[in-house]
Amino acid sequence: MVTTTVPPSKPAVKARAKPKAGMTRKRREALAAYAFLAPDTIGLLIFVAIPMVLAFGVAFFKVDGFGNYQYVGLANYKLMAGDDQLWASLKVTGIYVVTFVPLAFVVSFALAMLVRNHFKGIGWVRSAFFLPNVVSLVVVGLIWQFLLVDKRGALSKILAPFGLGDVSFLGTPSLALGTYVVISVWFLMGYQMLVFLAGLKDVPKELEDAAQIDGAGSWQRFRYVIWPLLRPTSFFVVVNSTIGAVTGLQAFDLVFVLTKGGPARATSTVVLYIYEQAFTFNNMGYAAALTTVVVAILVICTGLMFGVTRGGRFDED
Amino acid sequence: MAATPFPARQLSRRSVLRGGLGAFAATAAGVPLLSACGGNDSGGNAKEMSFWNFYGPSDDQGPQSKWFVDTVAEWNKNNDVKVKLRYIPGKDYLNGTTLQTAFQSGQGPDIFLISPGDFLRYYNGGVLQDLGSALPDESKKDYLPGLLEARSVDGKVYGLPMEIEPLAMYYSEAAFESAGLSEADLPKTWDQTIAVAQKLTNSKRYGVMFETLPGYYQNFTWYPFMWQGDGNAIKDGKSAFDSPAAVQALKFWGDTIKNKVAPRKALGDGGGDVVSNLGSGAAAMQQSGIWAVADMRTKAKTFKYGIIPLPTPDGGSAATDLGGWAFVANSKGKNPEAAAKFIAWALGSTDAAGVERQRQWNTVVKTNLPPRKSVQEAADAKGAFADGALKKFVSQIAPTGKPEPRFPPEVYQPIADAIQACQLNAADPAKAAADAAEKIDTFLKTYQGAPIS
Repeated sequence: MVTTTVPPSKPAVKARAKPKAGMTRKRREALAAYAFLAPDTIGLLIFVAIPMVLAFGVAFFKVDGFGNYQYVGLANYKLMAGDDQLWASLKVTGIYVVTFVPLAFVVSFALAMLVRNHFKGIGWVRSAFFLPNVVSLVVVGLIWQFLLVDKRGALSKILAPFGLGDVSFLGTPSLALGTYVVISVWFLMGYQMLVFLAGLKDVPKELEDAAQIDGAGSWQRFRYVIWPLLRPTSFFVVVNSTIGAVTGLQAFDLVFVLTKGGPARATSTVVLYIYEQAFTFNNMGYAAALTTVVVAILVICTGLMFGVTRGGRFDED
Repeated sequence: MAATPFPARQLSRRSVLRGGLGAFAATAAGVPLLSACGGNDSGGNAKEMSFWNFYGPSDDQGPQSKWFVDTVAEWNKNNDVKVKLRYIPGKDYLNGTTLQTAFQSGQGPDIFLISPGDFLRYYNGGVLQDLGSALPDESKKDYLPGLLEARSVDGKVYGLPMEIEPLAMYYSEAAFESAGLSEADLPKTWDQTIAVAQKLTNSKRYGVMFETLPGYYQNFTWYPFMWQGDGNAIKDGKSAFDSPAAVQALKFWGDTIKNKVAPRKALGDGGGDVVSNLGSGAAAMQQSGIWAVADMRTKAKTFKYGIIPLPTPDGGSAATDLGGWAFVANSKGKNPEAAAKFIAWALGSTDAAGVERQRQWNTVVKTNLPPRKSVQEAADAKGAFADGALKKFVSQIAPTGKPEPRFPPEVYQPIADAIQACQLNAADPAKAAADAAEKIDTFLKTYQGAPIS
C-alpha cells in the first residue's frame, strides 16, 4: 500500500496519502474518469441512444405529424416494397457510395503521401488541404453553387474555350451526382488525409530503411512495407466514409443546399427521401421505419467488412 | 496490485436481449405519450399567444418586419390576451422542420402563416381553428370572390389571406435593346417565347427563365401553363392530369431547356428571385410574382424592366396563379378563440384603421394585390396602381388568375416529379402525365380529408 512506503518524517505527504472518506486513490481516480466521461456519455444517451430506440418504436405507428399515433404493426415496413421512390433513392445512395468512397480514399491517401515528408511551407500546404473541412457544409454548398453557376460561373468560363461553357453541372441529371461526389471529396479529403498521416507516422522508419538497403525501390517500399502496415488505417477510413456517405452530413446538407434532390431526383439520397417523408408528407412513422432499415443495412455492411477482415486484425496475417 | 475499483459485470447475450426487449416494450408503450408531454390544452384561455412567422421581428428590422411588430403592438395595447411574435427565417419556415416538429410534439404556435399548398395538410391534421365566429359578415363580403373559399371547408373559414400574389413574365429592356428587339417583339404565345428567347440568348445570358428547383414553388409557377389549355390536376374527385393541357405545358417547359434558351439552375434564391437573375443580366425574361416589384424597388432601383402576362399556347386562354399567404389559428393552441379574434382584427377589420393597416402591408411595405375590395379602393385612391408594373398586374394579369390549388403532398409530389422529369430529364410528357395521374388516382381512392380544389 502507498501509505506504508511514506517516511514518517514527512507528515504533509502522509496526510495526503491518507484515504479520505474511505475511498482509495484508485477509486477516486476511477470516479474522476467517470466524471470526465459523464458529459459525453449523457449527451450520447440523450441525443443518440434514446432517440434511436424511440425511432424503432415509432416505426410501428402511423404518425400524422400532429401528435396522433395509431399502432399499425409492420405496415410501415410492408409499404417499402412498393415504394419506387425509395428504391430510386437507395440506388442514388448506392451509386454515391461506390464512387465517393474509393475516390475519397485515393485522393486523401495521395495527399497524405504528398505532405508526409517535411519541406518548407508544409504547414501551409497541409492547412490548405484541410481548410474545406472546417467550413460548414452549407457554406461549402453555397461556394460551389457560385462556382458552378450556369454560363457565368468560374468553371463555365474555364470550359468555354473548349465549347463546354453551356454545361450545367448541377442542373443536368447525368452530371449532378458526379458533381456532388467531387464536392464531397473536396470537402472530406483533408480530414481523411490527416487520418492517413497519423497512420503513416506509425510506420517504423527502420523498416523502410531496411527495405531500401535490401534494394527495394520506392514502389516496392510502398507496396510491401507501407501499404500492409496501413491496412488498419485504411479499414477505418473505408468504414467511416461508407457510413458518412449514407448518413453523414454530406448526404443531406450538401444535397439540400445544392439541388434539393433534383434535377429530376438525380441527387435524391435516401436520407433526403426520409426527410421528405417526415417533414413534407408528415409520414413520421414511415420515415422512422425507413431509418431503421437504413441503419440495419449499414450494420450489415459494417459487419461484413469486419467479417472479411477478421475484425480489422490485419496484423495477424 | 490494486483491486479493480468497479468490477466489470459480464454482459451475457441473454441479458442484452432482455434489456433490449425491455427497452423496446417501454418504447412502444411510451411513444404515444410523447405527444402528450408538454402538449397544449385545446380551447384554453391563456393570456399570451405565440405568433410564428417569417417576417418579424427580423434582424434587418425592415418595413415588413416593422409592420408585424407594429400590428402586434397595437393589438397588445388594447387587449388582455397578448400576442408574442416569433421570427423564423424564411428558408427554415418553408423547408425546415421547426413548424412540423412543434406540431408533432404538441407545441405548435397559436397563430401562424400558411400557403394554399399547405392548407389541407394542416386542416386534415385537425389543427386549424374556424375563424367564422370572430369574422363579421361585413368583413367576409369585403374579400374578393374565391379567396375565402380557397381557405374554407364546408362553408367555414379557416384562414384569412393577407395578400394576393399573381405571376407574370418580367423582361429586361436592356436585353431586348441589345438583341435588336422592341416591345413589338414581346411574346404572346409559347412558340413566340422560344423564338424570342433564342434571339436573346448569348454566351452570358439566357433568353427566358422558369423555376428549376423541385418544390411547392415550382409547382405553383407551372400550374398556369396547364390552366391556359383548360387543364387541371383534379376534376370531380378524380385525376385529370393525364390531359392534352398538362402534356403540352410539360412539353413547353422541357422545350425551353432542350432549345438551350433557359437555364437549368437559377441564381440567388431561385426562379422567383428577379434581382439575382433578370437584374444581374443572367436572364432576359423571367417568370416571377408581384413581390419582385418591391424587390426591384429596393435592390435594383435603376434597372429598367417591364412585365407581360404569361404567354399562352396557340388557342389557349390567359391564366395566372394567385398565390398569397394566410393567417391561421391553431385549434389546439393555448387560446384559439382569442387567436381567431386577433386574426380577424389584424386582417379583416373594416374600420378605417383596419383598411389602412392592410393598405400599408399590400402597397407600401410590400407589393401585393390587396385581397379586400375596400383596401383596393383605398390603395387606388392613393395611386398605388396608377402606372408601371403594378398597373398591369391589376388591370391585365390578376383578372385572369385562379387561386393557388390546395393540393395535399400526395398530389403535389407526382406533379412535381412529372415537371422535373420533362423539364430537366427530357422525359416523354405524355408518359410523365399518365404516370402522375395514376399515382394521384391511387391516392384519391383512399383519401378521406377535406375536398381538394
